[in-house]
Amino acid sequence: MLEINGLNVGHDGNAILEVPHLSVFTGEHCLILGASGSGKTTLLSTLSGLLAPIAGELLIDGCNVHKLRGVAMDEFRGRHIGIIYQTLHMVGALTVLDNLLLAQYAAGLPQDREKAIALLEHLGVAEKKDHKPETLSQGQLQRVAIARAVINGPRIIVGDEPTSALDDRSCETVMELLLQLAASANASLVIATHDQRIKRHFHRQITLEGGQ
Amino acid sequence: MNSLSLSYAYLRHKILSTALTAATFAVGVAMIVVLLLVNAQLQNEFSNNLKGIDLVVGGKGSPMQLILSSVFHLDTPTGNISLDEAEKLSRHSLVKETIPIALGDNYQGYRIVGTTQAYPEHYNARLKAGGRYWQKKMETVLGAEVAAKSGLNPGDSFAGSHGLTTGGELHSGLPYTVVGILEQTGTAIDRLALTGRESIWHIHEQHDHDHDAEGAGHKNGAQGHHDDGHADAQGHGREITSLLITYSSPLAAVELPRQINSTTSMQAASPAFEVARLNTFMGTGTETIKYFAWFLIALAGFGIFTGLYNAMNERRYDLALMRSFGARPGKLFKLMMTESLAVAIVGLVAGVVTGHLFVESFAAWLASSKHIHITGRLFLIEEMWLVPVSLAVGALAALLPAIRVYRIDIFKTLVRR
Ligand SMILES: Nc1ncnc2c1ncn2[C@@H]1O[C@H](COP(=O)(O)OP(=O)(O)OP(=O)(O)O)[C@@H](O)[C@H]1O
Ligand SMILES: [Mg+2]
Repeated sequence: MLEINGLNVGHDGNAILEVPHLSVFTGEHCLILGASGSGKTTLLSTLSGLLAPIAGELLIDGCNVHKLRGVAMDEFRGRHIGIIYQTLHMVGALTVLDNLLLAQYAAGLPQDREKAIALLEHLGVAEKKDHKPETLSQGQLQRVAIARAVINGPRIIVGDEPTSALDDRSCETVMELLLQLAASANASLVIATHDQRIKRHFHRQITLEGGQ
Repeated sequence: MNSLSLSYAYLRHKILSTALTAATFAVGVAMIVVLLLVNAQLQNEFSNNLKGIDLVVGGKGSPMQLILSSVFHLDTPTGNISLDEAEKLSRHSLVKETIPIALGDNYQGYRIVGTTQAYPEHYNARLKAGGRYWQKKMETVLGAEVAAKSGLNPGDSFAGSHGLTTGGELHSGLPYTVVGILEQTGTAIDRLALTGRESIWHIHEQHDHDHDAEGAGHKNGAQGHHDDGHADAQGHGREITSLLITYSSPLAAVELPRQINSTTSMQAASPAFEVARLNTFMGTGTETIKYFAWFLIALAGFGIFTGLYNAMNERRYDLALMRSFGARPGKLFKLMMTESLAVAIVGLVAGVVTGHLFVESFAAWLASSKHIHITGRLFLIEEMWLVPVSLAVGALAALLPAIRVYRIDIFKTLVRR
């Protein structure tokens, strides 16, 4: 589960927003809405352990994440948090399948080809497994990015605008796949967006003030 | 997936710059290899030829030229000396052994040398089975290379031609008969045809009927001597080109050259001294090329460095991504090192192979046109130095980019690009 207490996020010591309290239980999902500039990316980065908070604490399965330093932080993030970046960040030198294996290799986990292929099959991009990312469409890449974010069995899957570049149909498919994968892995989805189309998939929503 | 396969994928992804970097590195390595090979083999040939020759006595002129012409058979001789004086010298108490050298003709560019059996014996040359040394005039024993190139066998005969290089007038009336062939010695003898001095005198006495002796220092003052069949013993007025001398005592080094140079019309030159002098000239040349080659290696190392640095820069997203997946910095360090070392090793291997191929492919040309005998099929212990040096250059080149990986701010790199 994810728990926030008095979290103050921002850049270079300048607070942008405060989340006094939030808890997302295992298997629960949460949507973060807000206008552009309201601090969605900043908050998500803090939740992913990429950006240190100005104040407050973030607990993931009881671990005070921002107490971790350097290598320990990287390791914790690699095992427990699956991140879908807004700009997907595929490794161009590697095939789609190797991009998934890279996540396992980097995390120091055993490389499970079968699992990776099964995941790609589930997401409908298995036939592209031996292709370089540059030959895939945006929607296909999005699905590979999802597969890569979940392959190490994270407790929290964090996505920054994972659907905003997609058309209505792809948006629906991607959301359904994300929810399915999260459910089967018993993970929590935390997604930030201004995409109104996906609102209906989430019971819990927080809306950030400010921005624009 | 491991650091090897990952490095391989990255190197292949940017194959052109990888190949360029490796090629620069290989050129540096190849130059070093060529230098080492050529230097070692020339030195070796030098010392083989110099073996035990303490002094060379010949006509006045450049001492370097005297040594080059009489010991290495490379240059033209300085001029003749009288046989009488040479023989007087042979009986000198400070002289242990003398080898006469009489030049004048060639066969297909290979010098025909009038001498005594002491010459091949001094260099431990051995006759191939079925051969013998010359007993009569116009009998000859061929050096290994001459025999191999000409295809002549004992029993065959050939006509020498006038002068020390091809193109001279053929002495077709007085052919030589091959009576023996020498094994390879690794000295100048390999490319000589040896015969008794009488043959040289005989030919040129005949020859001098219609020609004034000139050129190539073969000038025999024995015009008019027709009955040279047993002229050996008296030899009045006869000349040879030079005399190779071995001392009987170390004292001779002080006494003999001074004596000869001041009291006779002959010149005495010390091969050791002249070769040392030659080495200081050539030495600076090879030193310069050597430094240039190391410079190229350093440049290639710098190439690997900038190549890696740029690759690292382009790849900071990938590296940050790997860290966001939990990759320890050590893993990324290993990845960069593997990549750099792989390029260095490929460059090293390619360079060593190229260097040897280069020497080997020029060996034939050098042998025929410059009479320099080298081979590419020789591996020197010195070449082993290239391994640690190349690896060190590769490792050094990866160090700074690899250290920079530790400093990557994942948030700034991946989220705020
Ligand atoms: N690296 C940074 N340093 C300083 N200020 C920043 C930095 N990144 C973002 N900000 C500021 O923080 C605020 C929130 O930015 P953030 O990117 O979190 O908004 P957002 O809700 O994700 O917007 P969008 O919907 O456009 O992506 C903005 O005012 C922005 O200018
Ligand atoms: Mg944003």
